[in-house]
Amino acid sequence: MDEHPGGGGGAAAGGGMATARQQQAPQQGNHNAVNPQIGPGGTASAVQQQDEMPRPQQYTIPGILHYIQHEWARFEMERAHWEVERAELQARIAFLQGERKGQENLKNDLVRRIKMLEYALKQERAKYHKLKYGTELNQGEVKMPSFESEDTKETEVPAVPQNSQLTWKQGRQLLRQYLQEVGYTDTILDVRSQRVRSLLGLSGSEQNGSVETKNLEQILNGGESPAKRKGQDMKRNPGDVLETFNFLENADDSDEEEEDEEGDLMEDLSNRTDKQRIKKHKIKVGNEGLASDLPDDPDTEEVLKEFDFLVNAEDGEGAGEARSSGDGTEWAEPLPFPSGGGKSFIMGSDDVLDSVLGLGDLADLTVSNDEADYSYDLPANKDAFRKTWNAKYTLRSHFDGVRALAFHPVEPVLVTVSEDHTLKLWNLQKTVPAKKSASFDVEPIYTFRAHVGPVLSLAVTASGEQCFSGGIDSTIQWWNIPSSNVDPYDTYDPSVLAGSLLGHTDAVWGLAYSGIKNRLLSCSADGTVKLWDPQEKMPCLCTFNSEREHGIPTAVDFNGCDPAYMVASFNTGSAVIYDLETSQSVVEFSAQKDSSLPAGNHINKVVSHPTLPVTITAHEDRHIKFFDNKSGKVIHAMVAHLDAVTSLAVDPNGIYLMSGSHDCSIRLWNLDSKTCVQEVTAHRKKSDESIYDVAFHPSKAYIGSAGADALAKVFV
Amino acid sequence: MVMAEGATVVRRNRPGTTAKYIQQNIRSDCSNIEKIMEPPEGQDEGVWKYEHLRQFCLELNGLAVKLQTECHPDTCTQMTATEQWIFLCAAHKTPKECPAIDYTRHTLDGAACLLNSNKYFPSRVSIKESSVAKLGSVCRRIYRIFSHAYFHHRQIFDTYENETFLCHRFTRFVMKYNLMSKDNLIVPILEEEEEEEEEGGQNPSTGESEA
Repeated sequence: MDEHPGGGGGAAAGGGMATARQQQAPQQGNHNAVNPQIGPGGTASAVQQQDEMPRPQQYTIPGILHYIQHEWARFEMERAHWEVERAELQARIAFLQGERKGQENLKNDLVRRIKMLEYALKQERAKYHKLKYGTELNQGEVKMPSFESEDTKETEVPAVPQNSQLTWKQGRQLLRQYLQEVGYTDTILDVRSQRVRSLLGLSGSEQNGSVETKNLEQILNGGESPAKRKGQDMKRNPGDVLETFNFLENADDSDEEEEDEEGDLMEDLSNRTDKQRIKKHKIKVGNEGLASDLPDDPDTEEVLKEFDFLVNAEDGEGAGEARSSGDGTEWAEPLPFPSGGGKSFIMGSDDVLDSVLGLGDLADLTVSNDEADYSYDLPANKDAFRKTWNAKYTLRSHFDGVRALAFHPVEPVLVTVSEDHTLKLWNLQKTVPAKKSASFDVEPIYTFRAHVGPVLSLAVTASGEQCFSGGIDSTIQWWNIPSSNVDPYDTYDPSVLAGSLLGHTDAVWGLAYSGIKNRLLSCSADGTVKLWDPQEKMPCLCTFNSEREHGIPTAVDFNGCDPAYMVASFNTGSAVIYDLETSQSVVEFSAQKDSSLPAGNHINKVVSHPTLPVTITAHEDRHIKFFDNKSGKVIHAMVAHLDAVTSLAVDPNGIYLMSGSHDCSIRLWNLDSKTCVQEVTAHRKKSDESIYDVAFHPSKAYIGSAGADALAKVFV
Repeated sequence: MVMAEGATVVRRNRPGTTAKYIQQNIRSDCSNIEKIMEPPEGQDEGVWKYEHLRQFCLELNGLAVKLQTECHPDTCTQMTATEQWIFLCAAHKTPKECPAIDYTRHTLDGAACLLNSNKYFPSRVSIKESSVAKLGSVCRRIYRIFSHAYFHHRQIFDTYENETFLCHRFTRFVMKYNLMSKDNLIVPILEEEEEEEEEGGQNPSTGESEA
């Protein structure tokens, strides 16, 4: 070393070393050879090499230099790698962005299509309704969906943060306006938004963005500006939006209204997607709160579980999400999950929406529905908006036409009488599992046998514990109704038959019961109307029309306002009000003598309004007539059906009238306007006859119809 | 007009549907079994059998009403006809030894459920092949009501039979369409038709027969 400082230091480390080694080898190989270049230096260097090998910690300049060169080369290589990688990633990013844009466009196109379809559907419905009823369907404003603003809104997306406040205020105003057009008053909106907020854990009526922003930040893990933007979204009054989505669970008539709202909402596309995202955040946030508040609804739990997934996904992707700009497509992955489940949450009547929301991309809508679903007390709201009755239960067991039916006063239970000589008791909660899920088949829980011959009429007492049936055999049987949980195949209990009321000499066509004083009225083909008190030893208290002065009675009813009076209808077309205490006729609603049909005056049914002094009659000549009890004059007469009107029923609140006819249709009429609000087709015709009886449930939302096809149907 | 015709005719009868056709024939002459049994042109046989069975169940209600007065669980504790067989009621999860009146009621109610069920008889214009077999078992059980009434409540049976000729018609019905084996037809029909039926009831083994 000392001998060769110059040699080692002078040359480049690698070169020096190599030269030294090269020289060393020949030197080692041939110690005798004289190398004029190196001489003693070479020998010394050979010695030095040998010395250096076993001592690596001795740094030489060449060694260091060599090492540094080596490392530098490595770094350069790695840098090159990184550059390549970055270029690759950048390319990928560009590709994904492009894809996302493509999806965006696709979504917009589909949305546009939906709006057009909705509009077309609304037009069709309006046309159809106009043709059917001659009146306009109340759809709210049927606006042609406008698309021009969509594109502009897209480009505005990056600029949204700046003028978000203004845009959203405007949007909100617009929403309120539309809702008012539909008929929502501000009070309803406020009440609704209150409820929604309380349910979702928001405080009071303030648009308190801070609570939400805090929660959002927990989830998003940073990204201040997006969180703030979301905070501003909160102020957009989610309550309003949710109210509009509440339409989606209502019946058909409301469908058009809400679709209209959505159509207009769509214009504000970016805002909408923001809202949806916010709602999703809120859903996640409120998961725990909601889970405890909500009833044990398996559907709801499913929904919440799905959103748990979203929460978990969110936490991992928080940072990335915060950076992306506000569009719905970032949800592309989690969306398919709610869409599958979400569709099932839409109420059965919303067939249109089902098809509309079949698109996975638009699962946003579905998600909002779910929230709307469990944000409200459904029954309370439904009463205000339900306008249509749908067939729910089919009661099959009779062998021949069902002549009459009556509901139990409180339970979901009804009794039917049939021409197969039996009465049957049905419990709507005991349904048979059926193939179709929309409607249920019901089997009877008890069969009453005592009549000889077809049973024609039925009356249930006010307590629901007993009933009376009248038949062709001119007897009235008095029954104790078994409990609604009775085993259908239990032992025979003769005490179910409480007694028989005998007195008529011909078929008993009509029965009516009054809980006050426990009285029963019956009318028979023998021409008489009898008043009974079943508890008495001699139950028949009084007989009316013994001389057939008015004809043959066809139906009877107690006066709704004053049960000391009763009204009876006759085959001559007249109806008479009798005073039960004096047994005298008080008012006579005389028939019009000039009816085109030969037996056109025949009245099939008479009912007395529960609260107003009005009597309503159903005629064989398709008319329904309204009479004033005091004056005896016709208030209103209308052609109600295409065939004879066979039955009438007034709802317990006195608002609607239901009529059944041999034209296979049941019609619901609003008593104030005397217009038909719904028509339901039910029951096949059997030898020109179709519906024999209709009835309302006194306390629940059920209506029933009895048909000649041996079926009874219950609608909800 | 439905109402004005009062007791005699309940509805305007027109032979349009099968059920109406059968009922009209019965109403006009219930003893003319041949006519009632004869299907009209082009009538699907399955539907014909089905509708007849419905009509039998309907009319059997009348017999059941009469039996209710006389057939008490303490006098007729089991469903029997002749002494050899005890019939178990199939309307329960496991066949049960119901008193005769319960057997009658349960069988009629069960038949009503089966014949009206959407699962087995979804349509009244065509009968599924798989459901035709059910008709046989319904007939077998229904027949026991006749046999019990004949052997234990003879008067009721005779009165009812004279009014409706129901057992005659039923026997002819099951024989015509082979819905039951002849061994089970133990109610003796009147002498003039003796060649068609058997004096049965000589079953060698005693025991319980389930539906």
